[in-house]
Amino acid sequence: MPSPANAGPAPGPPDGGWGWVVVFGAFISIGFAYAFPKGIAIFFKEIQGFFDTSYSEIAWVSSIMLATTYGAGPISSILVNRYGSRPVVIFGGLLCGIGMVSAAFCTSILQLYICVGFITGFGLALNLQPSVIIIGKYFLKRRPIANGLAMAGSPVMLCTLAPLNQFLFDNFGWRGSFLILGAILLNCCVAGALFRPIGAPKTQSNEEAKEVLKEGVAKDAMEMNSSTNIPVETKTEEEAKDCCEKINKYLDFSLFKHRGFLIYLIGNVLMFLGFFAPIVFLAPYAKHIGIDEYSAAFLLSILAIVDMIARPATGIIANSKWVRPRIQYFFSFSIAFNGACHLLCPLASGYKGLVVYAVFFGLAFGMVCAMLFETLMDLVGATRFTSAVGLVTIAECCTILLGPPIGGTLIDTFGDYKYMFIKCGAVMVLAGTFLFIMNYYNYRMLAKEKRKAKEEDPKSVRTESEGRNNLNKDTVQDGPELEPLREEQERLKKEVNGTNEV
Amino acid sequence: MPAPTVHARFSGSRPGRLLLLLCLCLSLPGGSPADLAVTPQDANQTQENSLTRMPTGLKSSPEPMTTARTVNRQTWGGSISDHLTLGPEASTPGPDLTTLEFKQDTKLNTSNGFYVEYEVLLSGESGTAVVKNITLDSAVRIELSCKLDDKYSSAKVLQVTWKKGNETIGHINKTENSWSIQLTISDNSKLGSYSCTVQGEEKFSVVFHLQVPKIDVKDKPVITYEGDAAVLVCKSPGYTPISWTWYMTNGSEQIAINDSLLLDKYVINRVFPNVTQLKILNLTSKDDGVYWCEAAFELGKSKGKLKLKVLSLMVPLKPFLAIVAEVVVLVAVIFLFEIYSKRREKRAEVEKEFDQIEQLKSEESNGVENSSTRHRKV
Repeated sequence: MPSPANAGPAPGPPDGGWGWVVVFGAFISIGFAYAFPKGIAIFFKEIQGFFDTSYSEIAWVSSIMLATTYGAGPISSILVNRYGSRPVVIFGGLLCGIGMVSAAFCTSILQLYICVGFITGFGLALNLQPSVIIIGKYFLKRRPIANGLAMAGSPVMLCTLAPLNQFLFDNFGWRGSFLILGAILLNCCVAGALFRPIGAPKTQSNEEAKEVLKEGVAKDAMEMNSSTNIPVETKTEEEAKDCCEKINKYLDFSLFKHRGFLIYLIGNVLMFLGFFAPIVFLAPYAKHIGIDEYSAAFLLSILAIVDMIARPATGIIANSKWVRPRIQYFFSFSIAFNGACHLLCPLASGYKGLVVYAVFFGLAFGMVCAMLFETLMDLVGATRFTSAVGLVTIAECCTILLGPPIGGTLIDTFGDYKYMFIKCGAVMVLAGTFLFIMNYYNYRMLAKEKRKAKEEDPKSVRTESEGRNNLNKDTVQDGPELEPLREEQERLKKEVNGTNEV
Repeated sequence: MPAPTVHARFSGSRPGRLLLLLCLCLSLPGGSPADLAVTPQDANQTQENSLTRMPTGLKSSPEPMTTARTVNRQTWGGSISDHLTLGPEASTPGPDLTTLEFKQDTKLNTSNGFYVEYEVLLSGESGTAVVKNITLDSAVRIELSCKLDDKYSSAKVLQVTWKKGNETIGHINKTENSWSIQLTISDNSKLGSYSCTVQGEEKFSVVFHLQVPKIDVKDKPVITYEGDAAVLVCKSPGYTPISWTWYMTNGSEQIAINDSLLLDKYVINRVFPNVTQLKILNLTSKDDGVYWCEAAFELGKSKGKLKLKVLSLMVPLKPFLAIVAEVVVLVAVIFLFEIYSKRREKRAEVEKEFDQIEQLKSEESNGVENSSTRHRKV
């Protein structure tokens, strides 16, 4: 029976078409967000001499930028929840441009911290989250591939930015380079313009909205792990819920009750302690064991090239029908694999050994990065992903910043790089194992809930809970244009008994 | 056919300062001091070695054959003074290690002062000259010696000549298979190229270039903007000069920059003893050009050249505006395309609706009952 309003069931994500253009936009946006902090390291030596500071003071610029990019995640999520991806990315691009242009006229290191560190960092944060979010909105069946392709932007941009920055520096000095880089960052606005909003349009009447939400409601009922007979709430309860829901509308704190989310959070926070340090110290380690500067730099290029190929490839593998249902295991495996590489690195002797290490490291790094957001989407679903990504990035922010300095301290204390590698490897193997075990438990619990839901509601078409397939959950496009009308959802829940299902 | 080997060794002494170099044998895998051979002359001397960086490249000679050899290890009775400059390992010759140099400097508690020993062992085809660069920054007593390998002791050596430039040096000390000259390098005139030619069945020659240390400068031009400040840096790695002087070029002349001359325009800083910095404030296009930094050593002066480019803000502004224009155009195109495709969709929908209405009307007028579900556009 067709539904009265104009819409039948909300259309699923297109999984193609304009989606690929969006992937391209996300590619650029994500590429800038990840590669830019690393790319400007070329200018540091000159700036350090110019402002007469020590290297560590200059390195703070990069750290502040990275910290702001990750730390501003929740703000980004709130804005996307409210306004949608497109305006946020365009605004982010403008902010980056303004930050870098003003950095070109800086006269002190403190001003650099503010302009390059905070403003540009914040702009990049406004680029990163929405790009990842909108992929979840446009893709479902092919989401891992889309994620892999979009995340490949990071190594590609890094490989492009490094020689470009060198060229700009040789021709324009650091001030001119910052000016031009500001203009280049404005291209994020172009990427943002490509992010056409998707989902039920704003102009729908409430009636239609309710219809569309009915499907969402049905799933939400399952989702909440409670009995399908929701008791009638008293007025005060409703009011309290309204307030919480208002906050949750902007940033979904109820995610902290979500088992999968918590598992992901803990595992990832642990993993990031040992994630970036080996990259930071690979070249110095190579020089330490006697390799010349250019070959050491070449190691990083090898890493980037392998990374570039590994990410889309991982996306394709993760999309295959064998891996997709068990994607969490694949993710845990790649983290553990990464850790194993680090543990074996001290055994590598000479340049050839390090090249082999760089290849495997690039592979592992690419695998982890490609699935980083895909697994989160898989666990919480596209609707709540907006908030989830914000909360996760701010939690990761701390360990990301701590990782390299801890590694550096280990190196300084022991005078040997191998302890840093052992620490990184051990942390990542631990994180991988934790995720593996906990996800096994999670899958089992989800299967149990699924069975329970099936038993209690045999007529319901949507018998799948948020089990391995979050597909159903994601078919409801909760765009920001359509605010989750949770109050109405509550009322509609009473109707849920397999009626009006399409 | 084995090539004959020739040891070339020089040793010298030096009062006062301490400069030390230790170049380990790299041609031997994992070369270590243990590989160093002890020559009979040095048997009763012990020495401690430390590492510094050799400022001048040791890989000067493109010999076709490589030899790897190490050189003496000498030990002396004295102790290393506190002015040890420890630095990174000496520049390592590339994989085709052709020669190995080993230079050590120790303090000898004799009235002679310091003694520098330098031995190079090389084997090459006869006829090719081996060139060694030796960097000296203060007065030194040096002994340069050419030593022929033991296996050629039977070979007839007709003539051994030591020359400075083209001038032959008279008094050569001969011991067994080695011929050496002793020099006191006390001023600039004594620096130069000293060559040793051993003429036997085959001819070998070694050339020693005695030079002042080279200055380390950035070879790319420093780019700054009008109204900004510029910082020019010169380094003399491993050697500490007595003083630094900066020059700017005015046409073809070099004018020394006196601090007292333009106090608010130029600031000269000696950040470290071997690093100097010239800060130029309030740049104008007239400041564009070549600058020289000169380091004065006991044995002479050494110069470094720096280029300064002063650009106006218009220069980067053009690419900036070009890119901004590109961004604006692209964004406009994308939005216009979107509006256009939306309009097209709407038009298509309207037409479809229109067609459906027409269809219904005709069906109704035909009196056909419509029990089927109405097709709704999704």
